[in-house]
Amino acid sequence: MTMDDLDMLVADAIKDIETAQNITELNRIEIKYLGSKGSLQAQMRTIGTLPKEERPKFGARVNSSKESLSQKLSARRTELEVKELEERLTKEKIDITLPGRTFPIGRLHPLTLTVQRVKEALIGQGYEFVDGPELEEYAYNFEALNYPEDHPAFDEMMTFYVDDTRLLRTQTTALQGRVMEKRKPPFRMATTGRCFRYEAVDATHHHTFHQVDVFMVDEGISMADLKGTLKQFASAMFGGNVQVRFRPDFFPFVEPGVDYSIFWEGRWLELGGAGLIHPNILESYGIDSERYSGFAFGLGIERIHMIQNGVNDLRLYLENDLRFLKQF
Amino acid sequence: MGFIIIEGIMRLSVEWIKEFVPTDASSEELARTLTMAGLEVEETIESEIGPVLDITVTPNRGDCLSVIGVARELNAVYSLQFPSIPNGVSVQPVKADCEISVAIEDIDLCSRYVARLVTNVRSKPSPEWMQKRLVAAGMRPINGIVDVTNYVMLETGQPLHAFDYDKLHGGRIVVRRARKGETIRTLDGVDRVLTEEMLAICDADHPVAIAGVMGGEEAEMNDSTKIMLLESAHFLPVSIRRTSKKLNLRTEASYRFERYVDPESVAKAADRACQLIAECGLGDVTTVLCDEYPVKLAPKRIVFRLARANAMLGYDIPKPEMIKALANLGFESLEEQEGHITYSVPSWRPDIQREIDIIEEVGRIIGYDRIPERLPVGVTTQGGDTPIGKMTAKIRTGIAAVGLQEVITHSLLAPGKLENDDPDGQRIEIRSALSSDLSGLRRSLLPGLLEAADRNARRGQLPLAFFEIGKVFHRTHKGYEESLVVGGIMAGTIAPRSWVRDDKRPEADFYMAKGIAEIVSHLCSVSDLQFCVCDDVRLHPGRSANIMLSGKRIGVVGELHPELRKLHSIREKICFFEMDLERLMDAGTKKQVFVSLSSYPVVVRDIAPRVANSVTYEKVLSSVKEVMPEILEKIELTDVFTGSQVGEEMKSLTLSLTFRSPERTLTDSEVNEALEKIRANLMERCNARFVG
Repeated sequence: MTMDDLDMLVADAIKDIETAQNITELNRIEIKYLGSKGSLQAQMRTIGTLPKEERPKFGARVNSSKESLSQKLSARRTELEVKELEERLTKEKIDITLPGRTFPIGRLHPLTLTVQRVKEALIGQGYEFVDGPELEEYAYNFEALNYPEDHPAFDEMMTFYVDDTRLLRTQTTALQGRVMEKRKPPFRMATTGRCFRYEAVDATHHHTFHQVDVFMVDEGISMADLKGTLKQFASAMFGGNVQVRFRPDFFPFVEPGVDYSIFWEGRWLELGGAGLIHPNILESYGIDSERYSGFAFGLGIERIHMIQNGVNDLRLYLENDLRFLKQF
Repeated sequence: MGFIIIEGIMRLSVEWIKEFVPTDASSEELARTLTMAGLEVEETIESEIGPVLDITVTPNRGDCLSVIGVARELNAVYSLQFPSIPNGVSVQPVKADCEISVAIEDIDLCSRYVARLVTNVRSKPSPEWMQKRLVAAGMRPINGIVDVTNYVMLETGQPLHAFDYDKLHGGRIVVRRARKGETIRTLDGVDRVLTEEMLAICDADHPVAIAGVMGGEEAEMNDSTKIMLLESAHFLPVSIRRTSKKLNLRTEASYRFERYVDPESVAKAADRACQLIAECGLGDVTTVLCDEYPVKLAPKRIVFRLARANAMLGYDIPKPEMIKALANLGFESLEEQEGHITYSVPSWRPDIQREIDIIEEVGRIIGYDRIPERLPVGVTTQGGDTPIGKMTAKIRTGIAAVGLQEVITHSLLAPGKLENDDPDGQRIEIRSALSSDLSGLRRSLLPGLLEAADRNARRGQLPLAFFEIGKVFHRTHKGYEESLVVGGIMAGTIAPRSWVRDDKRPEADFYMAKGIAEIVSHLCSVSDLQFCVCDDVRLHPGRSANIMLSGKRIGVVGELHPELRKLHSIREKICFFEMDLERLMDAGTKKQVFVSLSSYPVVVRDIAPRVANSVTYEKVLSSVKEVMPEILEKIELTDVFTGSQVGEEMKSLTLSLTFRSPERTLTDSEVNEALEKIRANLMERCNARFVG
C-alpha cells in the first residue's frame, strides 16, 4: 500500500459521497469507507508493512483523510436531508380547497339570542332580573296593577283563564307586584318571559309572545329619567345614538302613560309602553309615593328581533323551520 | 242602539270636527296634533265630504268618543274656543195632552234619566248632510229619527234611544233591575233571558229595553209610530259592561256607557236631538219632559302642586303654561295658594282621580317632546341575571355545542297521545277555549319538539336534533304546578355528511339521548343520576328509562314508541329526553372542591368480564365499585361485544381501569392485587368469566 493508493481511495470515497442520492446510500458509503471494517480502517491496518520512519506520516494522513471524509459526509447528509424533506412535503400536498371536516353544532333560538342581548344591556345599567310564573294569579296580572274591576281596560276575551283566579299572564308586568311585596326601594328590576293573549294569528299578532319588562323605584324619578334610560337601552340594543319619542297612551299601571318610539335608520319605530309607576301601586305596597317614584317600560322580544333583522312575519318564531333558525 | 262596533276605533269627518274647532289646520296637521295628544289617528280616509280621521281611543277616555270630545282635545292644544253641545230648542215646544212618568228604582245603576215626548212623528229620511256625516263615520242611514239619535251620539257621546210611546204600558218608564226569569226580544230578533243583576228599562209591566245595551222589539218605533219617547240617561259603567258581556251583546251604546258618559250632558243631548228633530221636520217637540236626577255628584276637587308636576315630568314648566293647558281642558281653578291650585275636575273626566292624573294632562298637552333625557342618579344597584337565567344560559350553550338546535314551541296545545297521562299530573285546561289547539297547557315538551322535527323532516331539512328549555304545567293534588324543564329530540344521524371516508356518523339512539341528558346533569354539577325501568307509554318499553335523582323521578329518556312514530313522517328511530331543571339545579353541588394533582404515573389495565346478557352494566359497574380500591382512579367502558365467540346470550365488556396513587409510584403487585379482587367480585356478583 502506498500513499498513492490512499489518495485514490479518498478520491473514490469523495466521488461516492458526492454522487449519493439519498440518506440510505450515504449510510452505506459511510460504512464502506469509515466503518470499523471500512476501507480506511483497512489502510490503517497495513501500517505495519511500512518502514518505521514512514509510519507516523502515513497514520497522520489516514486520520486526516478520515476527518475530511466525515466532514464531506455530514455536509452531504444535510444536503440530502433538506432535499428529502422537500420531496416529502411536495408529495404530501393536499387539496386545500376541499371542505373542512364538519361537526354537528346547534344554535340558539333567535329569541334566546335577543333575550341575552336585552339582559346584557340592562344588567349593564344596574338592573336585576327576576323570574315569574307563566300561569299567573289574576291578582298579580290585573288587580295589583291598578286595573279597576270590570273595566274595559282589560277584556276577558283577550285573556286565557284557567279558573276564576288563575290565568296565563298577559304581560310580564305581572312581576311588579311580586317584587314590591318583598323589596323596599330603591330597586331596579327587570324580567323577561312568555305571555299569552287571545289574538288571531297573523304576520304581526300571535297568541304566544315574549316580553321584557323593566321597572325601578327611587327618590326623585321622573319622566326625564325614563326618557334617558330608554335612550341608553335602545342605543345599546340597536346601536348608534337613537332618539326617543313619547306619545300619550293608557296603561292602568302607569301615570303618565306613554308609548315610546325610537328614531332608527331614518324612521320612527314604535317599541312599547312606558310611564311612571302609578302612585296607587306604590302605596298599595306601603311605599311612600311622595318620597319615592318610579318608572316602568316594556317591549316585545320578537319586535326587537324583527326590527334588528328585518324579519317580517311574527309566526316564524314558533314554527322552528331550520331555514329560519339557521340564519341567526 | 244596535250597531256592533269595532274595538276602540272611531271615524269622524274633519269638516264635522271643524264645526267645533275654528281652525284652518290641514287634516294631516289635525291628525298629528291628536296623535301627539293621545288620540292616535291610524289613518286618514277620503270621503264625499272630505277627509275622515280614523281615531283610536284608549279605554280610559270615553269622553273622547264623540266629535265634541275630539274637539275638546284639539282646543286644549290650539287654545281657540271651548266646544260645547249646541243648545236650546230653536222651535217652540208644543203642548201635548199625554203624560209620562219616570221612576228610577235602582239609583245605584242609573243616576239620571231624561225622557222627552215628540208627537206627530213623521216617517221620513234625515237630511242629506246628516246622512253624509253618518256614512263617513261608518254608519248606515236608516230613517230620520234613528239617524238623529245616532248623529247626536256621535256629536255628544251620549247614546239615545227612541220608544214608541203608545206601546209603553201605562205611559210609564220604570228603571229597575230585571226580575228573575224576565225575557225580552231585542232589536236583533233574539230572545234573551235577563238576570237580576241586569238593569232593564220597563214600562208599567215588563222590560222594553236592556238599559244601555239594546232596545226591545215590542216598543220599537215603526212607520206608524205617532208619539216618540226619547231616552237619554246615565248608567253605571260596570253594570252595563257586565250585562253586555253576559249577553255577549256589544253595541255603540254599551261601548260608550261602559266607558262613562257625562251625566251633566244627559239633558243637553236630549235637547240637541229635539232641536234636530224639529229642524228636520221629523215631529213636534213637546213640553212633556221628565228629568230624574236622583244622584248628582259634586265635581271632584283636586289639589295640584306646580312643583310636583315639574318633579314628575322632569323639567320646569312655566306656571302660566300649566294653567292655560288645564283651563283649555275644562279644569276650573277654585282656589290658588302658594305653589298649589285646587281644581274642579270636568264632569266628563272620570279618569282624573288624583294629582298625578292632572300632571299627565299638563305633560301631554304641553308636549312630551320637551321632556329632557336624563339618567337616574342615586344608589348604584348591582344588576344581574337570575340563578335560573345563568344556569339555562350555560345549558343552552352546552347542548347546542353537541349539535342540537334550540327551538321554542307552543305552551298551548290540543290534548294528545304525546303527553303522559300520569294520574298525578293532569292536564290544565283553558276555560271556554276558543279552539282545540288552544285548549290546554303542555305537560311535556315532546309534542312541540316532535312537531318541530316533523316539520323539518317533511321538508328534508336536517339534522333532526332539537332541544327546548321551557315551562310545563300539571294539575296535581297540590294544585297547579309549573316547572321548568329541558327536553331534546333526535332522529337519524346528527353529524353532517362528510367526504372523509372514515368519519363516523352515529345514528341517534337511546344512548345518544341518554348521553345528552348526562351532559345536562354534569352542567348542573349533578353526577349521580340513576336510570331505571320506566312505564312511560309514549316510549319503547325496552328502550326507555326513568331518570332518577336521590330516589325521585326527574325525567325520562327513551326511544319513541314505534306505534307513535308511525304517525309521523320520520323513518328513523326518534329519541327523546326530558328533565326537570329546577330539581337538577337544586341538587347540584354548590361549590367545587379542588383535588390536588398527583405527580405519580398512572397504570392502565383492561379487564374483559364475560357475563350473561341479562346482567346490566350497572350491576357490573357496582360490582367493581364495591371493591373500589383507593388506587382506582377511573373506570371506562371501552367495548361491549356480543357474538358467537362470546357464547349464546352472553356479552363481553371491556373495562379500562386507571390506577394511580397521590403519594407514590404504584408497584405491579399492588395493581395486580386490586385487579384480582375486582375479578373475584365480578365472578361472585355477576357470574362473570374471564378468558385468557
